[in-house]
Amino acid sequence: MAGQNNEQLIEHWKDEPAPLLPLLHAFHDRDGHLSEDALRAVSAALRIPLADLYGTVTFYHHFARFPPGMSAPRVCTGPVCRLVGGTELLEAMRKDGATPMACAGRCDEPIPVLTDHAVSVGATVEALQERPSPLPVANPGGLPECVFRSIRKEGRAGIAGYQKSGGYRALRSALSSGFPAAVIETVERSELAGRGGAGFPTGRKWRAVANEERGPKSVVCNADEGEPGCFKDRVLMDHDPHAVIEGMILAAYAVGASRGFIYLRYEYPQTAVILQRAIDEATEAGLLGDDILGGGLDFRIYVRRGAGAYICGEEGSLLNSLEGKHPFPRERPPYPVSHGFEDLPTVVNNVETLASVPPIIDRGGDWYRKLGLGDHAGTKVISLSGDIQRPGNYEVPIGFPLPTLLNEWAGGAPEGRTIQAVTMAGISGGFLAGDDLETTLDESSVRARGSMLGAGGIMVFDDSRDMVDVAHSCMEFFAHESCGKCFPCRIGTQRLTERLAEADDVGAAGPGDRADWAREVEDIGEVMKATSACGLGMAAPLITESLMRYWPDRVAEHVASRAS
Amino acid sequence: MSERHIEIDGQSVPYEEGETLLEAAGRTDAEIPTLCYDPRLEPFGGCRLCVVEIEGSHNPVASCARKCEDGMVVRTATDALEQHRKTLVEMVCSENRQVDVDPLSGFASQELAVLADRYDARTQRFVGRRSGQSRVDDDDNPFILRDYDQCISCYRCVRVCAEQEGDYAISVKGRGFDTQITVEFDGKLNESACTFCGQCVATCPTGALADRKALRHVDTPGPIEKTRTICPYCGVGCSVDLLTKGDSLVGVQPAMDGPANKGALCIKGQYAYDFVQHGDRLTTPLLRGDDGELHPASWDEALDVAAAGFLKARDEHGRHSIYAIASGRAPHEAAYTTQRFIRAGFWTNHVDNCSRA
Amino acid sequence: MSNPLEDMSKPDVIFCIGTNMTECHPVAATGIKKALAKGAKLIVADPRHIPLAKLADVVLPLRVGSDVALLLGMAHVIAREGLVDEEFLAARTSGGDEFLAHVAKFTPEWAEGISGVPAADIEAAGLLFGRAERGAIYYTLGITEHICGVDNVQSLCNLALMTGNIGREGTGINPMRGQNNIQGAGDCGALPNNYVGFQPVTDPANQAKFAEAYGHEVDLELGMTKVTALEQCGDQIRAMLIDGENTLVTDPDQGHCEHALKSLDHLVVIDIFLTDTAALADVVFPATAYGETDGVCTNTERRVQRLRAAVPPPGEARPDWWIISQMAKRCGFSGFEFESAKDVFNEICSLSPTYAGLNWDRIADGAYIWPVPYDGHPGTPILHQDEFINGRGLFKLIEYRDPAEVVCDEFPVWLTTGRRLQSYHSRTQTGRSSGIDYLLWEESLEVHPDDVADWGLTDGGWCRMTSARGSISIKVKATRQSPRGTVFASFSFSDVPVNVLTGSGYDPITQTAELKVCTVRIEPASVPEPAIST
Repeated sequence: MAGQNNEQLIEHWKDEPAPLLPLLHAFHDRDGHLSEDALRAVSAALRIPLADLYGTVTFYHHFARFPPGMSAPRVCTGPVCRLVGGTELLEAMRKDGATPMACAGRCDEPIPVLTDHAVSVGATVEALQERPSPLPVANPGGLPECVFRSIRKEGRAGIAGYQKSGGYRALRSALSSGFPAAVIETVERSELAGRGGAGFPTGRKWRAVANEERGPKSVVCNADEGEPGCFKDRVLMDHDPHAVIEGMILAAYAVGASRGFIYLRYEYPQTAVILQRAIDEATEAGLLGDDILGGGLDFRIYVRRGAGAYICGEEGSLLNSLEGKHPFPRERPPYPVSHGFEDLPTVVNNVETLASVPPIIDRGGDWYRKLGLGDHAGTKVISLSGDIQRPGNYEVPIGFPLPTLLNEWAGGAPEGRTIQAVTMAGISGGFLAGDDLETTLDESSVRARGSMLGAGGIMVFDDSRDMVDVAHSCMEFFAHESCGKCFPCRIGTQRLTERLAEADDVGAAGPGDRADWAREVEDIGEVMKATSACGLGMAAPLITESLMRYWPDRVAEHVASRAS
Repeated sequence: MSERHIEIDGQSVPYEEGETLLEAAGRTDAEIPTLCYDPRLEPFGGCRLCVVEIEGSHNPVASCARKCEDGMVVRTATDALEQHRKTLVEMVCSENRQVDVDPLSGFASQELAVLADRYDARTQRFVGRRSGQSRVDDDDNPFILRDYDQCISCYRCVRVCAEQEGDYAISVKGRGFDTQITVEFDGKLNESACTFCGQCVATCPTGALADRKALRHVDTPGPIEKTRTICPYCGVGCSVDLLTKGDSLVGVQPAMDGPANKGALCIKGQYAYDFVQHGDRLTTPLLRGDDGELHPASWDEALDVAAAGFLKARDEHGRHSIYAIASGRAPHEAAYTTQRFIRAGFWTNHVDNCSRA
Repeated sequence: MSNPLEDMSKPDVIFCIGTNMTECHPVAATGIKKALAKGAKLIVADPRHIPLAKLADVVLPLRVGSDVALLLGMAHVIAREGLVDEEFLAARTSGGDEFLAHVAKFTPEWAEGISGVPAADIEAAGLLFGRAERGAIYYTLGITEHICGVDNVQSLCNLALMTGNIGREGTGINPMRGQNNIQGAGDCGALPNNYVGFQPVTDPANQAKFAEAYGHEVDLELGMTKVTALEQCGDQIRAMLIDGENTLVTDPDQGHCEHALKSLDHLVVIDIFLTDTAALADVVFPATAYGETDGVCTNTERRVQRLRAAVPPPGEARPDWWIISQMAKRCGFSGFEFESAKDVFNEICSLSPTYAGLNWDRIADGAYIWPVPYDGHPGTPILHQDEFINGRGLFKLIEYRDPAEVVCDEFPVWLTTGRRLQSYHSRTQTGRSSGIDYLLWEESLEVHPDDVADWGLTDGGWCRMTSARGSISIKVKATRQSPRGTVFASFSFSDVPVNVLTGSGYDPITQTAELKVCTVRIEPASVPEPAIST
C-alpha cells in the first residue's frame, strides 16, 4: 500500500466487507501512524462520525496516532516474558522508543518484540531474530491426536502438501453428499465444544444458525488469541492454515453462510501473510468463491487484523470491532447465532474448534468423541509455558492428568526447582497450586478446584517466584485490557491492581489492615464475578481468590508491608 | 393471543413483546437502581446496578437490557443483589472527587448522590486513583462545564449525543480505567461537532457535565422551583422546565416527558433564556412626546393615547384604515384579542400575522 | 404538518427540501437522524451544502428558485417508471391522468437545464422517493418564500399524492413552522381571510356566527394581507397595531418598510424590547415575556400546549391580551372583559371548530393535536387519513417560472437568506442571552472559496453587496457550504441589515415575499460603510 494516496486506499477498501479495520491498517502501514488527516478521510469515506472513529482508534493499543508509531519496538512484558527478562529487555530498548505490550503469544519462545510488520524473539537485544513459530513437539505420549495429527507433515501449510495429507477430503465428501444437515449431525455426534474457552457445543451452535432464516450469514473465525499464555491458534494457523479454512468452509456449508472472516490478533503479522496465501491458494483451486467444487456453495474468506485489544477475543467485542464499532462486548441475548455480524446470523468459532472439524468430518463424530478419556469427548491443545523444561503446545485427550503433562511430557520444573503453581485458562482461571495440581484436564475437574480450563493456556511458576508479584502483573493485564464499559470490571480491575501493588509502587493503594484489605478484595471480587458484563470481569478475581487461598501468609506479609 | 406475564418479586406482571425487565418492573413497586440508564436511549448495560436474579440463570442479568420472556421469575432486591449494589456504588464513589453536586448542575445530576444515600455508600472504601481529567479551564465555552474528575464513564453523554441528538460529537478515548470522555482529537467543544444542545448535561448523573450558566446562580438564595412551559423559539414546541430561585430565572432544563421533544432541546431553548430578565426590557409604556422622542408614561395615559389614535383614524379615514399585525411569538390570547379588537371593534378584516415574512 | 413530529423517525425515505432543519429546527431534525440510524434514506434538496446534506443519500443542489423544475423532473421519473400508487390515485385523488400526461415532457434532462442538478441525481431521487414504503416530505421557508411559493408547495403535494404518501403514519407533507406560535396566530384568526379556527370570513354562515358572538356587525370583505397593508401605509392604512414583531428588520426591502411605517398617522407597538420597529411607534407597550406569561401556543404539528409564568415581569409589563383588551375598552368596545388568559382561551375554544373539544384545563399536558372537534375526541395527529378536507386530493398542473429576479450583468450573483443555529430572527432575544456571542458574534457572507478568489475578495475581509434595492457592507467567509455563484447570509444582525437588499417579489396568492432569492453584485471593500436603501 506504500505510495498510495488517501483516495486510492479508500477506493480499494470502502466497498469491501468489514472495511474499517483494513482501511485503518492501510493508512497505519503507509504512514506508520494514523494522522488527523487520515482519520478525517476515513470518517468521510465510511461515513463514521469523526468522534466515534477517534474514540475507536484510541481504544486499540497498537494504533499509533503520532510518529514514530509502528516503527518503534513494542516489547512483551507478559507474565512469562517477565520471568525471562522482558522488563529488562524493554528498558534496554527504551532508547529506541520501545514501549511495553501485553502478552503477544510467543510464550513458547520468549521474548517477542514487534517492530513495523515483524516479530523478533530473543531474551536480549543481541539475541533478537525473526523466527517462524515452533512446531508442536513430536507427540510425546503417542496418544491419538486430532488437530495435530498431520500438522508436522512436510509442506502441510501449502495447499499441495495439505491435500496430499488428506486435506479437503472432508469438504469434498461433504459437498458431494449434498446434505449440509449431515455435517451438523456429525459435529453434534462428535460432542466437539468451543475450544476458545467457552465450551459451547459446536453442533448446537451451527444448528441454531442453520435454522435462522435471515441472511447473508457469516462464519467468523476467532483468531484473536489474546489470552496470556495461549499460543495454540498461532501454531495451527502458521502450520496448518488450510485446516482452519476447510473448517470454515464446512461451517459455511452446514449453516448456509456466504461470508467468512478470520479476525486475527495484531501481534501475529506473519500469520496474516500465511493465511492470506492459503486463502489465495484455496480460491485459485476453486475451494473458495462461487459454486465451490460445483456444490452450489458461494463462500469467501476475508482476513481482518485486530489492532491490539484483548477484549476483541470476546465474541461481542470481536463482532463490533469487525463492524467498525467501538469494541465493547454486546449484551446477550441476543446471541450471534441470530444477531451476529451486521446483526445477521453468524457462527463464531475459535481456530482450534474449526481446525478440528475436517478430521471429524473425515473420520466421523464417534472417532473424535472417543479421543477423550472416560466420559470426556475429544482433545484439547494446551499451551504450556513458563518455568517448565519443554514449553510448547500439546494436544491432550480431555480428562488427561495435569501432572503427567507437566512432569512426564514437558519434563517438569527447571533443574533444581519444583513447581509452585500454574495458571489455568491463560490467566483467566487464576492459579492452581498444592494438591489442586493433581487435577485432570477437563472443565468439570478444573472448575471443582475453583478454576477453569478455558482456552488451555497453562503457565508454570516454580518455587522461586513471588506469587503476589505474579498476581499483580496478571491483574495489571486485566486492568489494561478492561474495555471500560461495565463498572465492576473497569473499577474493580483497577482497585485490585492497586491492592496487589507493592507498597512503594506509584500505583499502590488500599488498606494496610489485613482484614480490611481482604474485605475490600473479596467484595470487589464478588461483585465482579456476579455482575460483570463479560468474561473478563468475571475471570479477573479468580487471580485474587486463588492467591488468598494458596498463599495466605504471603498475602498477609504483603498487606503488612504497606501498613506503615 | 393470550397475555404474557413475568413474575417480579412475587407479583405477576403483564408485558409487551420487546419490553425489558426494567421497563416491566417500572410498573411494580420494585425500585431498581441505575446509573447508566436513560429511558430515551438504547439499553447499555454498563453500570450493572440494575442486575436482577432470574430463576434458572447462573449469574444476575442486567434488567435494562434483558427482554421479558413469558414465565420468567425475577427477583429484584435479594440480599445478595443489594450487597452487590452497595459495593458497586461505593466503588463508583471512590473514583470521583465528590459525590454531592449542586442541583443546578443538570437535570440528572443528583442520581449518584441519591444512590449513595440509599446505599449508605459514602464509606471511603476502595480508595485509589480517580478517573477522568477535567477540562474546566482550557475549555472556556460558556455553556457546558466539563468537570471529568466527576465522570463515572456511564456513556450517557456519548449515547445521548449520538442516539438522541444525532450529533455524534462526544466520544470516548482509551479504555478501562483510563477511559476519558472527550471529543474528536481531544479538542474543545466548539471545535467539535457539538451544537451545545445541552443534552449531555441533562443526562449526566454526577455533574461531570454541568450547566455553566445555571451554576452562576449557586449562591442566589432560595430553593429551586421548576415551572413547565414551552420554548419560545421555533415551531417545534419543546417543553422545558424553567428553574427559578425567588424571582430570578436561573436556568432551563428539558422536560423529559415533553410531548413534542421528549427531553430534547437545542442551544436556543437550552441556553438562550436570559433575555427575559435583561436590563433592556421595556418596563413602562412609552409615549412619543412633542420633542419627537419616546418617554415613559403611565398605563392610563398610554392606553388613552393608543385608543384615541385608532378612533381618530377610523373617524377620519374609515374603518378600513385600521390595521393590526399579530405576533407569531406571543400566545394565542394575544393573537385572538388582536383580531377581535380589529374585527369586533373596527368592523374590518384588516388583520394578519407575521407568517409572511 | 400533516403528520406529527414523532412520525419523523418512521419513514423509510425522507425528502427534505428548502429546510435547513438541523440549524432551524434542531430538535425536529433529531427525529430524522433517528430514522437514518434505523436505515432510512434521505434526499436533501437545497442550493447550499447544508449540514443535513452531509447525512443524505441523494443531494440535489438546485439553483435557488428552481424547485418546481426539480420536482417536475422527479414526478416525471416516478410516472415513467410506473411507481405511481394507482390505487391511491383512483380512490383518493382527482386530476391524476392530466397530471401524469403533464409531467411526461418534463424529463430529468430538462430539469437539469433549469436547476443545474445532474439528471442522474434527479433520476435517483425520483426512484428513491417513488419506491418508498413510507415517504415523507419536510420543507420550510426555502419552499414558501418565493414568488412561486404556492407552486412549490403544490408540486410537493403532487409528489405525495402520486405516490400515496399522505394520510398514513410516517408519510405526509410537513411544513416546519418557524416561530413558536405562528401556527397559533393562524388558529386564532389573525388572518385577513379567516376567523378563529380557519372559518372563512366570506362564508355567510360564519359571518352570522361571529356577528352574534361579537355582538357587532362584521366585515363581509376579505382583509388585506400584511404586505399589501405595508404598501398602503399612509394611503388607505393610517393606524396600525404591531404586536411582537420587529417588522423593520425581518421584512424584506427594509427601506420600503421603514418608509411605510413612518407614513402612518398612528403606530402602536407591543413588545418586550425597544426594537427598531418599536422605536418608530407613537405608543409602545411593555409586554410580558417567555417565562412571565400564562397562555397557550400551538406548535408545528398542531399540538396545543400551555405556557406558564415562572417569574414576575419587569416593572409594569403586562400580558399582550390585557394590553389589547384595555385598549379595546378605552375605544368603547364591549366583550373584552377578560380577567385571565384562561378566559380568553376558553372563548377561542367556544368559537373554533378545531378546538371545540378543548379547554384550558384539558390542554394542561399538551396531549392534544387539533382538530379536536368535540368533547372526548382524542385529537388528530395524522391529517387526511380517510379523506381530504375537500373530498379528493387535487393534482395541480404546475409550470416552472423564473424568480422575480434572475442574475444579469449588473447583478450576477444569487443571494439567499436564512437563519443560523445560534441566533434567532433579529436577535432581540438570542442577542441578549449570555454566551451566544461565544459561538456567533457577527454576521458574514458565505461565499464559495473559488468565488472569493475570482471576485477579488478575501476570507475575513469586507465586501460591499448591492441589489436593486440597496447596498450593505458585510464580512466575507469562504466556505464550500455555498455553491459557486450563490451567497448566503442571515438577517439576524442589525448592523448587517440583509433585508435592505431583499424583496424582489411576492407570491401572487399568499403575498409571501421572495426572501430566498434576489440578485446582487459583490465588490471587495476595505472598510465597512453604512447600509443604503435605494
